[in-house]
Amino acid sequence: MEPKTPRRVALLANCLLNQNAKVCQGAHYRGLVSPVVEALRSRGYELLQLPCPELAFAGVRRWWAVYEQYDTPAYRSHCKHRAQAIAPLIEQHLRRGDELILIGLDGSPSTGVRFTSSKPEWGGRPNRPQDDWEVVPRRGIWIEELEAELARRGLPPVPATGWALDMGRYDEAGSRRDLEEFLDAQ
Amino acid sequence: MNADKRGWRMALVPDALLNAPPRARAALPDVLEALESSGYGVLHLPPPGRHSLLLAVIADQVAEYGHHGYAVVAIGRRTRSGDGLHWRRLAPLLRHRNVALPPRHIIHAAADPEVEGLRLTAFLAAYDLPVEGQRRWRV
Repeated sequence: MEPKTPRRVALLANCLLNQNAKVCQGAHYRGLVSPVVEALRSRGYELLQLPCPELAFAGVRRWWAVYEQYDTPAYRSHCKHRAQAIAPLIEQHLRRGDELILIGLDGSPSTGVRFTSSKPEWGGRPNRPQDDWEVVPRRGIWIEELEAELARRGLPPVPATGWALDMGRYDEAGSRRDLEEFLDAQ
Repeated sequence: MNADKRGWRMALVPDALLNAPPRARAALPDVLEALESSGYGVLHLPPPGRHSLLLAVIADQVAEYGHHGYAVVAIGRRTRSGDGLHWRRLAPLLRHRNVALPPRHIIHAAADPEVEGLRLTAFLAAYDLPVEGQRRWRV
Protein backbone atom coordinates (compact mmCIF):
# COMPACT_ATOMS: atom_id res chain seq x y z
CA MET A 1 0.00 0.00 0.00
CA GLU A 2 1.28 3.48 -0.82
CA PRO A 3 1.85 5.85 2.10
CA LYS A 4 -0.84 8.50 2.48
CA THR A 5 0.07 12.00 1.30
CA PRO A 6 0.10 14.43 4.22
CA ARG A 7 -2.86 16.78 4.16
CA ARG A 8 -2.68 20.50 4.91
CA VAL A 9 -5.12 21.41 7.65
CA ALA A 10 -5.87 24.87 9.07
CA LEU A 11 -7.31 25.07 12.57
CA LEU A 12 -9.51 28.14 12.46
CA ALA A 13 -10.86 30.44 15.14
CA ASN A 14 -14.59 29.78 15.22
CA CYS A 15 -15.60 33.27 14.11
CA LEU A 16 -13.45 33.15 10.96
CA LEU A 17 -16.10 30.77 9.61
CA ASN A 18 -19.01 32.30 11.49
CA GLN A 19 -19.06 36.00 12.31
CA ASN A 20 -22.29 35.48 14.25
CA ALA A 21 -20.06 34.30 17.09
CA LYS A 22 -18.55 37.76 17.50
CA VAL A 23 -19.35 40.04 20.39
CA CYS A 24 -21.98 42.70 19.52
CA GLN A 25 -20.56 45.30 17.07
CA GLY A 26 -17.61 43.05 16.33
CA ALA A 27 -18.82 41.34 13.13
CA HIS A 28 -17.09 42.64 9.99
CA TYR A 29 -18.70 40.08 7.63
CA ARG A 30 -22.14 38.48 7.39
CA GLY A 31 -20.87 34.91 7.81
CA LEU A 32 -17.50 33.67 6.57
CA VAL A 33 -14.40 35.85 6.67
CA SER A 34 -13.96 35.28 2.96
CA PRO A 35 -10.33 36.51 2.51
CA VAL A 36 -9.14 33.92 5.05
CA VAL A 37 -11.15 31.12 3.47
CA GLU A 38 -9.96 32.05 -0.04
CA ALA A 39 -6.29 32.24 0.98
CA LEU A 40 -6.47 28.81 2.63
CA ARG A 41 -8.50 26.99 0.00
CA SER A 42 -6.36 28.31 -2.85
CA ARG A 43 -3.35 26.73 -1.11
CA GLY A 44 -5.08 23.40 -0.63
CA TYR A 45 -5.80 23.64 3.09
CA GLU A 46 -8.66 21.72 4.67
CA LEU A 47 -10.50 23.66 7.36
CA LEU A 48 -11.08 22.59 10.95
CA GLN A 49 -13.21 25.02 12.94
CA LEU A 50 -12.37 25.38 16.62
CA PRO A 51 -15.16 25.85 19.17
CA CYS A 52 -15.86 29.39 20.43
CA PRO A 53 -15.44 29.25 24.21
CA GLU A 54 -16.71 32.79 24.81
CA LEU A 55 -20.03 32.09 23.11
CA ALA A 56 -20.81 29.08 25.27
CA PHE A 57 -19.49 30.68 28.46
CA ALA A 58 -20.87 34.22 28.36
CA GLY A 59 -23.44 33.95 25.56
CA VAL A 60 -23.96 35.58 22.22
CA ARG A 61 -25.09 38.82 23.93
CA ARG A 62 -21.97 39.08 26.10
CA TRP A 63 -20.24 42.35 26.93
CA TRP A 64 -16.89 43.18 25.44
CA ALA A 65 -14.09 42.00 27.70
CA VAL A 66 -10.30 41.96 27.95
CA TYR A 67 -7.82 39.20 28.79
CA GLU A 68 -7.76 39.98 32.51
CA GLN A 69 -11.56 39.62 32.84
CA TYR A 70 -11.54 36.16 31.27
CA ASP A 71 -8.46 35.05 33.19
CA THR A 72 -10.40 33.16 35.87
CA PRO A 73 -10.23 29.51 36.99
CA ALA A 74 -13.81 28.92 35.77
CA TYR A 75 -13.16 30.26 32.28
CA ARG A 76 -9.85 28.40 32.00
CA SER A 77 -11.58 25.20 33.04
CA HIS A 78 -14.32 25.84 30.43
CA CYS A 79 -11.64 26.39 27.75
CA LYS A 80 -9.82 23.23 28.84
CA HIS A 81 -13.06 21.26 28.41
CA ARG A 82 -13.48 22.70 24.88
CA ALA A 83 -9.85 21.86 24.14
CA GLN A 84 -10.45 18.26 25.22
CA ALA A 85 -13.41 18.10 22.82
CA ILE A 86 -11.43 19.15 19.74
CA ALA A 87 -7.96 17.78 20.64
CA PRO A 88 -8.68 14.19 19.49
CA LEU A 89 -9.29 15.43 15.93
CA ILE A 90 -6.13 17.55 15.99
CA GLU A 91 -4.14 14.65 17.44
CA GLN A 92 -5.39 12.34 14.71
CA HIS A 93 -4.08 14.72 12.04
CA LEU A 94 -0.73 15.25 13.76
CA ARG A 95 -0.15 11.53 14.34
CA ARG A 96 -0.93 10.91 10.65
CA GLY A 97 1.78 13.40 9.67
CA ASP A 98 -0.55 16.07 8.30
CA GLU A 99 0.72 19.65 8.12
CA LEU A 100 -1.26 21.73 10.57
CA ILE A 101 -1.42 25.47 11.10
CA LEU A 102 -3.52 27.54 13.46
CA ILE A 103 -5.19 30.83 12.52
CA GLY A 104 -6.48 32.68 15.55
CA LEU A 105 -7.87 36.15 15.97
CA ASP A 106 -5.35 38.77 16.97
CA GLY A 107 -6.56 41.20 19.62
CA SER A 108 -9.09 38.74 21.02
CA PRO A 109 -8.96 38.05 24.78
CA SER A 110 -9.57 34.36 24.05
CA THR A 111 -8.36 33.56 20.54
CA GLY A 112 -5.45 36.00 20.16
CA VAL A 113 -2.26 34.37 18.87
CA ARG A 114 0.28 37.16 18.49
CA PHE A 115 -1.73 39.77 20.39
CA THR A 116 -4.50 39.93 22.93
CA SER A 117 -6.47 42.82 24.45
CA SER A 118 -5.54 44.03 27.89
CA LYS A 119 -6.83 46.52 30.45
CA PRO A 120 -6.37 45.36 34.03
CA GLU A 121 -8.66 48.12 35.35
CA TRP A 122 -11.72 47.00 33.32
CA GLY A 123 -14.60 45.78 35.45
CA GLY A 124 -17.92 46.80 36.91
CA ARG A 125 -20.40 48.86 34.93
CA PRO A 126 -19.54 48.59 31.22
CA ASN A 127 -19.26 52.29 30.38
CA ARG A 128 -15.69 52.50 29.11
CA PRO A 129 -14.89 54.91 26.27
CA GLN A 130 -14.26 53.43 22.82
CA ASP A 131 -10.83 51.90 22.08
CA ASP A 132 -9.88 52.15 25.73
CA TRP A 133 -8.10 48.79 25.84
CA GLU A 134 -4.51 48.03 24.89
CA VAL A 135 -3.13 45.41 22.55
CA VAL A 136 -0.30 43.41 24.08
CA PRO A 137 1.87 40.64 22.57
CA ARG A 138 0.44 37.52 24.21
CA ARG A 139 -1.81 34.51 23.49
CA GLY A 140 -5.50 34.73 24.42
CA ILE A 141 -6.81 32.45 27.18
CA TRP A 142 -8.41 29.89 24.80
CA ILE A 143 -5.27 29.53 22.71
CA GLU A 144 -3.18 29.14 25.87
CA GLU A 145 -5.45 26.34 27.09
CA LEU A 146 -5.66 24.65 23.69
CA GLU A 147 -1.87 24.63 23.32
CA ALA A 148 -1.52 23.32 26.89
CA GLU A 149 -3.91 20.45 26.07
CA LEU A 150 -1.96 19.55 22.93
CA ALA A 151 1.29 19.65 24.91
CA ARG A 152 -0.27 17.36 27.58
CA ARG A 153 -0.87 14.87 24.80
CA GLY A 154 2.79 15.06 23.79
CA LEU A 155 2.02 16.79 20.50
CA PRO A 156 4.34 19.28 18.85
CA PRO A 157 3.40 22.97 18.73
CA VAL A 158 1.37 23.97 15.67
CA PRO A 159 2.67 26.98 13.68
CA ALA A 160 0.25 29.78 14.41
CA THR A 161 -0.71 33.29 13.44
CA GLY A 162 -3.68 35.57 13.95
CA TRP A 163 -6.04 37.37 11.61
CA ALA A 164 -6.00 40.94 12.95
CA LEU A 165 -9.74 41.46 13.33
CA ASP A 166 -9.81 42.68 16.93
CA MET A 167 -6.94 45.15 16.98
CA GLY A 168 -9.03 48.32 17.15
CA ARG A 169 -8.89 49.43 13.51
CA TYR A 170 -9.42 46.64 11.00
CA ASP A 171 -7.23 46.65 7.91
CA GLU A 172 -8.41 43.84 5.61
CA ALA A 173 -5.72 44.31 2.95
CA GLY A 174 -2.94 44.40 5.56
CA SER A 175 -4.35 41.32 7.32
CA ARG A 176 -4.51 39.47 4.01
CA ARG A 177 -0.87 40.30 3.16
CA ASP A 178 0.17 39.20 6.60
CA LEU A 179 -1.68 35.89 6.35
CA GLU A 180 -0.38 35.16 2.86
CA GLU A 181 3.21 35.76 4.00
CA PHE A 182 2.66 33.32 6.86
CA LEU A 183 1.10 30.70 4.59
CA ASP A 184 3.78 31.01 1.94
CA ALA A 185 6.48 30.54 4.59
CA GLN A 186 5.07 27.15 5.63
CA MET B 1 -15.56 49.12 16.21
CA ASN B 2 -17.86 49.01 13.20
CA ALA B 3 -21.50 48.79 12.34
CA ASP B 4 -22.12 45.14 12.98
CA LYS B 5 -22.47 43.12 9.76
CA ARG B 6 -23.53 39.72 11.09
CA GLY B 7 -26.00 37.89 8.88
CA TRP B 8 -27.93 36.18 11.76
CA ARG B 9 -28.00 32.94 9.77
CA MET B 10 -25.71 29.92 9.80
CA ALA B 11 -25.52 26.31 8.66
CA LEU B 12 -24.34 23.10 10.23
CA VAL B 13 -22.03 21.68 7.57
CA PRO B 14 -20.53 18.18 7.56
CA ASP B 15 -16.82 17.74 7.13
CA ALA B 16 -17.44 15.86 3.88
CA LEU B 17 -18.88 19.04 2.35
CA LEU B 18 -16.54 21.57 3.94
CA ASN B 19 -13.46 19.55 3.02
CA ALA B 20 -14.63 17.53 0.05
CA PRO B 21 -11.66 15.73 -1.54
CA PRO B 22 -10.65 17.17 -4.96
CA ARG B 23 -12.17 14.25 -6.90
CA ALA B 24 -15.54 14.60 -5.16
CA ARG B 25 -15.54 18.39 -5.46
CA ALA B 26 -16.31 18.41 -9.17
CA ALA B 27 -19.50 16.44 -8.53
CA LEU B 28 -20.74 18.78 -5.80
CA PRO B 29 -21.91 22.38 -5.63
CA ASP B 30 -19.44 24.71 -3.88
CA VAL B 31 -21.19 24.84 -0.52
CA LEU B 32 -18.85 27.42 1.03
CA GLU B 33 -19.36 29.76 -1.89
CA ALA B 34 -23.15 29.36 -1.64
CA LEU B 35 -23.04 30.07 2.10
CA GLU B 36 -20.77 33.07 1.64
CA SER B 37 -22.92 34.65 -1.06
CA SER B 38 -26.07 34.00 0.98
CA GLY B 39 -24.55 35.56 4.12
CA TYR B 40 -24.47 32.41 6.22
CA GLY B 41 -21.85 31.40 8.76
CA VAL B 42 -20.60 27.83 9.22
CA LEU B 43 -20.84 25.43 12.14
CA HIS B 44 -18.46 22.64 11.17
CA LEU B 45 -19.53 19.11 12.04
CA PRO B 46 -16.76 16.55 12.52
CA PRO B 47 -16.09 13.61 10.17
CA PRO B 48 -17.76 10.25 10.95
CA GLY B 49 -16.95 8.94 14.44
CA ARG B 50 -18.30 9.24 17.98
CA HIS B 51 -17.11 12.76 18.92
CA SER B 52 -19.50 12.81 21.92
CA LEU B 53 -17.81 15.73 23.65
CA LEU B 54 -17.47 17.80 20.49
CA LEU B 55 -21.08 17.24 19.43
CA ALA B 56 -22.22 18.39 22.88
CA VAL B 57 -20.09 21.53 22.48
CA ILE B 58 -21.65 22.17 19.07
CA ALA B 59 -25.14 21.59 20.50
CA ASP B 60 -24.41 24.21 23.19
CA GLN B 61 -23.55 26.70 20.44
CA VAL B 62 -26.68 25.90 18.42
CA ALA B 63 -28.79 26.30 21.58
CA GLU B 64 -27.26 29.69 22.34
CA TYR B 65 -27.98 30.88 18.80
CA GLY B 66 -31.42 29.29 18.69
CA HIS B 67 -32.49 31.03 21.89
CA HIS B 68 -31.37 34.47 20.71
CA GLY B 69 -32.89 35.12 17.29
CA TYR B 70 -30.43 33.37 14.97
CA ALA B 71 -31.53 31.09 12.15
CA VAL B 72 -29.74 27.74 11.98
CA VAL B 73 -30.07 25.21 9.16
CA ALA B 74 -28.28 21.95 8.40
CA ILE B 75 -26.88 20.93 5.03
CA GLY B 76 -26.13 17.28 4.46
CA ARG B 77 -24.80 15.23 1.60
CA ARG B 78 -26.57 11.98 0.83
CA THR B 79 -24.16 9.04 0.54
CA ARG B 80 -24.40 5.32 1.28
CA SER B 81 -23.02 5.91 4.77
CA GLY B 82 -25.43 8.74 5.68
CA ASP B 83 -25.60 12.51 5.34
CA GLY B 84 -22.70 13.53 7.62
CA LEU B 85 -24.94 15.43 10.03
CA HIS B 86 -24.58 13.06 13.06
CA TRP B 87 -28.35 13.50 13.41
CA ARG B 88 -28.91 10.45 15.63
CA ARG B 89 -26.61 11.97 18.24
CA LEU B 90 -27.15 15.66 17.59
CA ALA B 91 -30.98 15.66 17.61
CA PRO B 92 -31.33 14.41 21.21
CA LEU B 93 -28.62 16.82 22.35
CA LEU B 94 -30.58 19.70 20.82
CA ARG B 95 -33.91 18.50 22.21
CA HIS B 96 -32.31 18.25 25.65
CA ARG B 97 -31.37 21.93 25.29
CA ASN B 98 -34.93 22.90 24.22
CA VAL B 99 -33.91 23.84 20.69
CA ALA B 100 -36.06 23.18 17.65
CA LEU B 101 -34.25 20.92 15.18
CA PRO B 102 -32.79 22.96 12.31
CA PRO B 103 -34.38 22.39 8.89
CA ARG B 104 -32.26 20.04 6.79
CA HIS B 105 -31.30 20.38 3.16
CA ILE B 106 -29.73 17.32 1.59
CA ILE B 107 -27.44 17.47 -1.42
CA HIS B 108 -27.67 14.44 -3.69
CA ALA B 109 -24.18 13.45 -4.74
CA ALA B 110 -25.39 11.65 -7.85
CA ALA B 111 -27.35 14.62 -9.21
CA ASP B 112 -26.17 17.44 -11.49
CA PRO B 113 -24.01 19.73 -9.29
CA GLU B 114 -25.33 22.83 -11.02
CA VAL B 115 -28.93 21.88 -10.28
CA GLU B 116 -27.96 20.96 -6.71
CA GLY B 117 -26.25 24.34 -6.36
CA LEU B 118 -29.39 26.16 -7.44
CA ARG B 119 -31.51 24.09 -5.04
CA LEU B 120 -29.11 24.91 -2.21
CA THR B 121 -29.05 28.63 -2.97
CA ALA B 122 -32.86 28.74 -3.14
CA PHE B 123 -33.10 26.92 0.20
CA LEU B 124 -30.64 29.31 1.85
CA ALA B 125 -32.38 32.39 0.45
CA ALA B 126 -35.81 31.25 1.54
CA TYR B 127 -35.03 30.37 5.14
CA ASP B 128 -35.09 32.73 8.09
CA LEU B 129 -36.92 33.11 11.38
CA PRO B 130 -40.45 34.50 11.36
CA VAL B 131 -40.44 38.33 11.40
CA GLU B 132 -41.59 38.57 15.04
CA GLY B 133 -38.64 36.38 16.10
CA GLN B 134 -36.27 38.61 14.18
CA ARG B 135 -37.72 41.84 15.63
CA ARG B 136 -37.29 40.62 19.19
CA TRP B 137 -33.53 40.15 18.92
CA ARG B 138 -32.09 41.81 15.86
CA VAL B 139 -31.75 45.41 16.97
